[in-house]
Amino acid sequence: MDTLLYLTRRVLQSLAVILIVTVVVFCLLHALPGGPARGILGPQATAQQIAQFDHEQGLDRSLPVQYLYYLRTLLHGDLGTSYTLNEAVSRLIEQRLPKTLVLTVLSALAGLALAIPLGMWQAVRRNKPVDYVITTLSFVAYSTPVYFLGLVLVLVFTQLLPWFPSQAPQGDTLGQVLSQPNALVLPVVAGAASMVAVFSRYMRAATLENLSEDYVRTARAGGSRPRAILWRHVFRNSLTPVVAMLGYYVPVLFGGALVVEQLFNYPGMGLLFWSAAQSSDYPVLLGCVLVISVATVVGTLLADIVQRIVDPRVKAGRS
Amino acid sequence: MTADILRIENLGVTFSTETGEVAAVREVSLRVGPGETLALVGESGSGKSTVALAAMGLLPGTARATGHAVVGGTDVIGATEADLAGLRGRTASMVFQEPATALDPLTRIGAQIAEVIRNHRPVTAKEAAGEAVELLRRVGIPDPGTRASAFPFQLSGGQRQRVVIAMAIANAPSLLIADEPTTALDVTVQAEILDLLRSLAADFDTGVLLVTHNMGVVADFADRVAVMLQGEIVETGPVEQVLLRPTHEYTKRLLGAVPRLAVAEPGADSRRTEGDRAAADPVVELRDVSVRFGRGRRAVRALDGVSLTVGAGETVGLVGESGSGKSTAARVALGLVPPSSGSVSLFGADLGRTRGRARRALLAGVGVVLQDPVASLDARMSVAECVAEPLRVHRRGMPASERRTRVGDALELVRLPRALAHRGPRELSGGQRQRVSLARALVLEPRLLVADEPTSALDVSVQQSVLEVIAGLQGELGFACLFVSHDLAVVQQFAQHVVVLRAGRIEEEGSTATTLLHPRTDYTRRLIAAVPVPDPVLQRRRRAERRAATGVTA
Repeated sequence: MDTLLYLTRRVLQSLAVILIVTVVVFCLLHALPGGPARGILGPQATAQQIAQFDHEQGLDRSLPVQYLYYLRTLLHGDLGTSYTLNEAVSRLIEQRLPKTLVLTVLSALAGLALAIPLGMWQAVRRNKPVDYVITTLSFVAYSTPVYFLGLVLVLVFTQLLPWFPSQAPQGDTLGQVLSQPNALVLPVVAGAASMVAVFSRYMRAATLENLSEDYVRTARAGGSRPRAILWRHVFRNSLTPVVAMLGYYVPVLFGGALVVEQLFNYPGMGLLFWSAAQSSDYPVLLGCVLVISVATVVGTLLADIVQRIVDPRVKAGRS
Repeated sequence: MTADILRIENLGVTFSTETGEVAAVREVSLRVGPGETLALVGESGSGKSTVALAAMGLLPGTARATGHAVVGGTDVIGATEADLAGLRGRTASMVFQEPATALDPLTRIGAQIAEVIRNHRPVTAKEAAGEAVELLRRVGIPDPGTRASAFPFQLSGGQRQRVVIAMAIANAPSLLIADEPTTALDVTVQAEILDLLRSLAADFDTGVLLVTHNMGVVADFADRVAVMLQGEIVETGPVEQVLLRPTHEYTKRLLGAVPRLAVAEPGADSRRTEGDRAAADPVVELRDVSVRFGRGRRAVRALDGVSLTVGAGETVGLVGESGSGKSTAARVALGLVPPSSGSVSLFGADLGRTRGRARRALLAGVGVVLQDPVASLDARMSVAECVAEPLRVHRRGMPASERRTRVGDALELVRLPRALAHRGPRELSGGQRQRVSLARALVLEPRLLVADEPTSALDVSVQQSVLEVIAGLQGELGFACLFVSHDLAVVQQFAQHVVVLRAGRIEEEGSTATTLLHPRTDYTRRLIAAVPVPDPVLQRRRRAERRAATGVTA
């Protein structure tokens, strides 16, 4: 199929998905008890004050009207104003998103850089001690909650072995954040741990499957060395299913960021989301969800495009 | 005579499985000289492929080999992986059965060939790429300069096999091991690939170890034959002697079971007399049926104006190469694929206009047997449950005791012991499984049996017994049979009427006896000419004739 046509179709699909997400989240948030007025004005507020707040914020109109109103302002790049922080949501996201992106992208890259060779190593050494050890560690890493792992990391590497600071880099600009790489190590490790666990399993399974493929036997019959076969053929073939999984992993990464940012006092999207959820700050919550869903959709889209580049069969529309 | 390029002495191979050690090959000795072709034949499980893999040092990790397999002076048994890598692709090469999976799907074919070259010779990447193009030209890939940058999925099965062969001959090896190299291919493609292998082996004076189950291929290609049974060689000798005057009981039985395509004597009178076909009372009738898959420019016309009928008690054979639409036609008759145009009538009712319960009642009169006996039975059900399923679906009111009796009767019909009823399909052999499929197809006493390549996955001796069961039951129960097969010899033996399909259209049809002996169209003639017959003398004449007809000069 024509590449341009494919891209257009996929982008339109992605937009549709994002739209549906906003509808669902909008409905869910409004179904929550309490409402923002009570959360913002406090328990002392009178019924009249609450009614006035609702009227000012348009909360007394019907849900579809509120939603359409929200959507219209959204199209102007206006995500509304935070109830509690007295600032435009778009401005808040603008400040916080780059920091979270630094954290998640670094975690993802570090995680993959470790997971892919580990998984391949396990596959080559299948059912040998190395395989069992890494498998065990993977399950430990995967089943350990991020906050617990983070606490252990802080305890070990800031208190027992004072190698790293316990706080993530402070400062508002990307330059400031990146100028303290030492302080980024622990948050990135905490964020990457489950990623290493999950993706080394994927990579192990994919590599094992490919090692038993006929083309490996053909390559051996042609006199290729095992190492050459592994890197020249098996690696690329195993990577395609793993790349496909990457898109779906974006929300998990954001979920991890929520905890990591809290733990290392790193004011990114995670912290913003967390405090907004606690104070029923609808505009901020919707903004965050929108950003995360856009990131997920974009991640999936990128994964599909990468797969199209790596695997010529996808482009030709064959499985 | 020069030294043998392959000498196997007292080769033994055992596999360690969960249930203990299994000896797959015992005391096998054989040799292949330069320029000579030795065919290793036998049925599945006889160990012939294991011998081939052992000679390349490609046995899986669970196998243990003893004895000697000397390739060009090096004993492969016990050699290090590094020694083997130096041998493979240079001294000895291999061509595999399944061209669909033998190539790396993500690497361009030119690069895959160049890799084999550079494994053994210190040439630059550019020189290797140039040689790869030259090799592609040699194995008959059109426009090799452009095709070298194609990916395997962009090639047909026959072309892929040519690429695998190009890889195998890249360093002019002195031994070529071919494991069922044409089994996955259409007969016409098979003939081309065999011609190619023959001319390449002659050019390089290469010794060939040909592993195959197909006696026609043996007759076409081999100088000598070794027959394997249960891991041992039971008979070996020159091809004429083994195929025409076999001495061992097993070889005689094996050759007796091979369906032979009766062919017109070369140069014989080719007039045909067409008897009237008693086409009264059609059980199933396809009228001008077309089937399109997909839409717009990318639509594929699987069937194009096909009309055919199967009368009561009659067997109609549907033949053609892969992609000719024969399986699609069978599916249309089964109501699984709706025709894009045209109509299907089943037992006199228009299938396209019947809905709901009436349609189900109609389809209950059709039994089906499919090609793959492993995939077509649910591994989680017992044999009895598999056979009882149609009764549960179509005869809901039937009491369990009667159902049990009917299942037992059906198993008896296909000559399976009732004791098998509680086994799982996995515990049965391929032939037994296919008879379970047949019992399931017959348990509702259908008026029509649709059999889509029912014996293609089976060994010849098993194929014969399954076909005998079907034919015997047809005489007894009188059902009509739509029989899809790529094997012209089987169809000739089994069907009274034959329909030859080509690219979704009917090329020709008629009574089997006359159509396959004296075909009217060039296509059918080519199809028949490409089938190798298991008689080396006759096959040599047929090959010469076919080449003269197609203008091959090699």
